[in-house]
Parts: sequence; structure tokens; C-alpha cells
Amino acid sequence: MPSRSLFALAALLVCFACLVASANAGQSAKIDATFTPERLGAATTMSFAFQITAEGQDPAALTAMDIAYPRNLGFATSGLGLAACSQATLEASGPPGCPANSQMGYGSAVVEIQIGPVLVKETVSLAAFAGPSPDGYLHLLVCATGIFPVQAVVVLAGVLLPGHLKIVIPPIPSLPEAPYVAVAQMHLTLGGHLTYYEEVAGRTVAYRPAGVGLPGRCPRGGFAFAATFAFLDSSSSRARTVVPCPHHR
Amino acid sequence: MRLSGERRRGRFPGLRGTVQQQGRDMHSRKRERLRAGSLARALPPIALLVSAAGVVSAAQARATGRTTRRSAHAARVLNVRDEGHLRFIHASGSLLIDEGHASGTFPGSVKVRFVYDGEPNVSAQFTISGSGGSISAKGSGRLSSPTSPDPSFKGRMSVTGGSGRYAHVHGGGELFGVFNRRSYALTVQAIGKLPY
Repeated sequence: MPSRSLFALAALLVCFACLVASANAGQSAKIDATFTPERLGAATTMSFAFQITAEGQDPAALTAMDIAYPRNLGFATSGLGLAACSQATLEASGPPGCPANSQMGYGSAVVEIQIGPVLVKETVSLAAFAGPSPDGYLHLLVCATGIFPVQAVVVLAGVLLPGHLKIVIPPIPSLPEAPYVAVAQMHLTLGGHLTYYEEVAGRTVAYRPAGVGLPGRCPRGGFAFAATFAFLDSSSSRARTVVPCPHHR
Repeated sequence: MRLSGERRRGRFPGLRGTVQQQGRDMHSRKRERLRAGSLARALPPIALLVSAAGVVSAAQARATGRTTRRSAHAARVLNVRDEGHLRFIHASGSLLIDEGHASGTFPGSVKVRFVYDGEPNVSAQFTISGSGGSISAKGSGRLSSPTSPDPSFKGRMSVTGGSGRYAHVHGGGELFGVFNRRSYALTVQAIGKLPY
């Protein structure tokens, strides 16, 4: 029957597309997201982590990532990033050069550097800051500081769109003639142990910003996160995770 | 306080003798026959600005010798210029709920549902409850600087409903505000002409 033939052809095409996608995927990714505390309707600290594994080949440099999160999470109303730090300041002075009220989070990453035949791993520290906003959206700057074996300060620029966090990673050179540094793991926390300052009756008072607001109701199936990673070799990888709904006590 | 002589077209074609009403004196029926000149002296400066169009219309009507009449079917216009200082009550993700008191031409209590989800435009649904009824409206405005501790926003609002005396209120106007990102407090100013 014609309809059955069409269906079979469509299924074949879908399978072929899947095979092509698998063949192109040089890297696979896993992501994880957590809320601390997990209390609906309250402010929380949000942590996001990913791990990229190169399958049987040299790791390709990560160039961009797009993290999709539930749109009703209160990132914009988190009270984080009450000041802005410019990319030039971060590159020149590092995190100490930025206003305390501009820091939005912190974390760490593991990068892979090809030195000859050896793949060396380096742990770098991350600090996330609110960047200047030329377009009305919240901009995020992530400062990655590495010490050994490659000493470098690299600033990743991101923009917080409703339901999406897009981060662009510039090519990070390592040694002469060596491939670019590849990001293998990252763990980034927004909120948490940050200290902000405000003027109260003429005095400077320290306080802890509220953090990302969780909605009062959990979406069906939990809080869904997804991420798309783009690599220098034009391949891409996707991953998903779900933060389960908190148990009622 | 009422102004007469403004001719309305469009929504109520052919209607003559429209009455504009200011919130504080809305119960005063004696003043509706006041001439425009004496009205101008009686109005506070801010209300005078808002009512400038009506004054001009009244002056024109007087110049042409028309008598002003108030019909039983005349649509009234509430010239709202209110400012509310609201404190944070509750949050749910990107939704904030603030409450407080509004002062101005339509004083009363205000409840606001304010949404800021990262878009440059923030949105708000609010209800002002005063003596004689309530007015509900929604609006949106563009945030000036998202990394400021207290960014301002400016936009438009439109009435979504009313109750009591303002059950048939409609129209819209401008919405201004300041959002304190530390305390989630809001200062909101609504300016508009609302026929009811």
C-alpha cells in the first residue's frame, strides 16, 4: 500500500539520519543540575555541571554552549549581579578587579591540553560576573583562571535569555603548534556563598544575596534542563537532565 | 472634580457633554457646572496638566456659546495619575507579588503581580482598590539597566476590568516604575485616561 511504503521510507530516512548524527558526534556530553535547597517557592543555589567525553579521538575544543532551563526559574529576580564588571577589567585584573556585587557565582573546570602525545589535564577556577548589558538582557562573564601547566586568564561571555543561557568560549591556545585547549568538565554554581554590600543609614553592610527563585509549583516531570555543545570541528553534542520535584514532607 | 464640554467620538459617537472626573472629588456633583476658568484655579498643578485637553475643550465650547449639559448616559473619564510604593510579599520563580498603597487621583490599596524573566521587558498586572470600586490593569515596560540595583522601567498599560463604580472602566495609559532588585520593592506610577 502506498501509505505503508511511505511510512517505511520515512522510518528508513529517520534511521539513516540517526546513523549520520552518531557518526558525526565525536564527543558525547552528560549534564547535571541541582538546587540547594530544594524548596519550592524559595530562593536557591543552582549548580550546573557537564562532562564531555571524546570517543576514540583527540578532544575538540568547545566553542559554545546553550543551556536551556525552565523559563519560570527566577534568574532575573535572583538579586544576583547588582553591579557590572567589564570584560576588559576581568582580563586585566581578574576577579579581584570586579565589584563584589557583580559576582553571580563560582565553580571549576577541567581542561585538556595536548602536549606532544600526552593529554594533560588542568583544573581551572571559575568566577561568574554580571557583565554590562548593551541590549537589555542580563549578560554573564565567566572568568577562567588556570595556573599550571598553562597559566592563563580566559573570559567566557554569555547572555541570559529567558529559558536559555548561551555561553561562547573563545579558542584557548596552549603551546605553539599544539591544538586549542579543550574543556572536558565544568561545574558552575549561581548564588551560594557570595557576599554583597549595601548602604544602610550611611553604613556599609554585608549580606548574602537571595539566589535563584524556584517557582511555587514543580513542573510535571520535574525541572528539565538541556544543553547543546558546539565544537571547533563543527560537531555538536546534546544532553538532558531533570531535577526531580522535591518530596513533600 | 468634573469638566464638561469635551465631546467624545469613536466609542460613544454623538455623545455630548462628557464629564471628566478626578478621583478625590468624584462625589462632588455641584462642581460639574463650574466654568473652565474657575476649575483651573481649583485643580492642583499635576491634575491641571492631565486635564489640559479638557480645559481647552471647555473653553472652546464656551467660546462658541454652547451650553454644557450632563446627560444620564454621559461617559465619565477618570484621569488617573497614581503612584504606589509597594513592598515585597511573595515570590514564585520569576513572578513577584508586591502590595502597598497608591496615592494620587485614585487612592487605594494596590496589589501587583510583577514578572521579570530575563527579557528586557518586564510585565505587571495590578489592581487598585479604592472607595467605590477597583480597577485592574496590565502593562509592560522596558527595563533601563538590568545590572542596576534599582532599574527603572517605562511602558504602556491597559485596563482589563473593574468593579463597583468602575465596572465598565476601560482605556489605558503610561506605566512607569522602579524595581529594587535587592528588596523586590516596587515604585509604580500609572498615568492614564480611563472612561467608565
